[in-house]
Amino acid sequence: MILATNITLTYDNKKNIIENGNFHIHEKEFVFISGSSGSGKSTLLKSLYGELKAKTGHLFVNKIDLTKKDPLKLLKLRKNLGIVFQDYKLIKDYTVEENILLPLKLHNYDDKVSNNQVKNLLNHVQLTHKAKAYPDELSGGEQQRVSMARALAHNPALILADEPTGNLDEYSASVIWKLLRDANKLLGITVVVVTHTIPKDFLLKYRRFNIDDGVIYEAS
Amino acid sequence: MKHLRSFFSFTAPLIIMLVTFCIYLIVNKVVHNYKDKITNDYSIIMVSNTPFSKIDEVSGIKIRDIKILKKDKIIEDIRNELSDSSLDLLNKKLPYFYQIYLEEFPTTLKLEEIRKELITISNVKRVETFTSDHNKVYSLLILIQDIIIILFVITLLLSILLISKQIKIWFFEQSERISIIQLHGGSLLYSSKPIIKIMVTSSVTSIIFVSILLFLTINNISLFVRPEILMLIPKITDLEFDILKIMLLAISIPMVTFLGLAIQHKVNS
Repeated sequence: MILATNITLTYDNKKNIIENGNFHIHEKEFVFISGSSGSGKSTLLKSLYGELKAKTGHLFVNKIDLTKKDPLKLLKLRKNLGIVFQDYKLIKDYTVEENILLPLKLHNYDDKVSNNQVKNLLNHVQLTHKAKAYPDELSGGEQQRVSMARALAHNPALILADEPTGNLDEYSASVIWKLLRDANKLLGITVVVVTHTIPKDFLLKYRRFNIDDGVIYEAS
Repeated sequence: MKHLRSFFSFTAPLIIMLVTFCIYLIVNKVVHNYKDKITNDYSIIMVSNTPFSKIDEVSGIKIRDIKILKKDKIIEDIRNELSDSSLDLLNKKLPYFYQIYLEEFPTTLKLEEIRKELITISNVKRVETFTSDHNKVYSLLILIQDIIIILFVITLLLSILLISKQIKIWFFEQSERISIIQLHGGSLLYSSKPIIKIMVTSSVTSIIFVSILLFLTINNISLFVRPEILMLIPKITDLEFDILKIMLLAISIPMVTFLGLAIQHKVNS
């Protein structure tokens, strides 16, 4: 699903944030990327959804080489990703329903199919009663659940999550972890989560890559 | 209120540009019609010792018609003052007079070129172009037309500047939404849908407003133009074609500006 060989990541060719990074994430895997603040976790994730191009090396995500500049392939890759951010990144003038509909619209799903899918997802994230609400009317936990529903809407092959529970209380965080685990376990979606706080019950079950001083290594 | 303000910030320069374009269209029509009118009335007189067999002999000049002025008519006026023998002699010696009608009304410079061209033809004795008769009004109209073109170009540039400024503001306001949609694989055009929507709404509003204004102006032109000038202006028709031009301009200018800024936005981001 994801293969990185000798990738170097940098902003504006200044200091290398990741140097000669090598890792392989298989299909249907649940993987954590961890490290201290400023270690380059989010930078690495950015490179996985094509927001940052690797200076050297090769990075394949879903068989697409992200080190080559190909805008059409990048759009194709992003359409087949589910992305969850710490700050939710919901469109403020869209209702909850419309936010979840976004990836379905980008895939040109039939209206009836889309509406059914949104209904199911709202039920899954327990927000049916908030379908017509706007993001500003929701709590942080609720907004992140909408973000999760949006990430799951089009049955992506891969979900990338950047500190998905960073802004949430303990209960809301546990709901999000459950949703991510279910996406992997029940739907077979590959999940890559960038976080510096891995829940205890996840810690021993899944692989974890650690970033320290620009070096990526698999933590035991 | 904010939406209304940004709507007018975009629509107002567009309307001003379209109104200037309408003025240009009207002046152009008036000049064109006046040109046709004076071209029909206008002719050059050429005097030649030998008769012409073909129009082609006058090369390089677009000629609509050449009429020969009959000698009898010329002699008629002086018949009583001359003896029969003198009349006979005059009839034999009188050169051939031609009235040349041109396909289009030439400028003063072109007219001088035509005169020089005609005078070089062998046996042509004299060419009279009567330049001063028509040129005064025509030159004035050409001057007005040129001023309107310059005014239109200036308005066009200023409008593009104001329109692009407003589109930039919209891009800035929508930047978060655009980046979120792009993160989900939406194209820049798709993510800029609200900008395109308001642009199209503004363009359609401008087209309707300016078309009504043009229609009312043309149908009530006597309110804006003095009667003596009005007599010179033939009836202005073919409004449908003009409205089509307005539509094209109202849609193409914002769209081209938008595409330019969209490319800039893409490069910057």
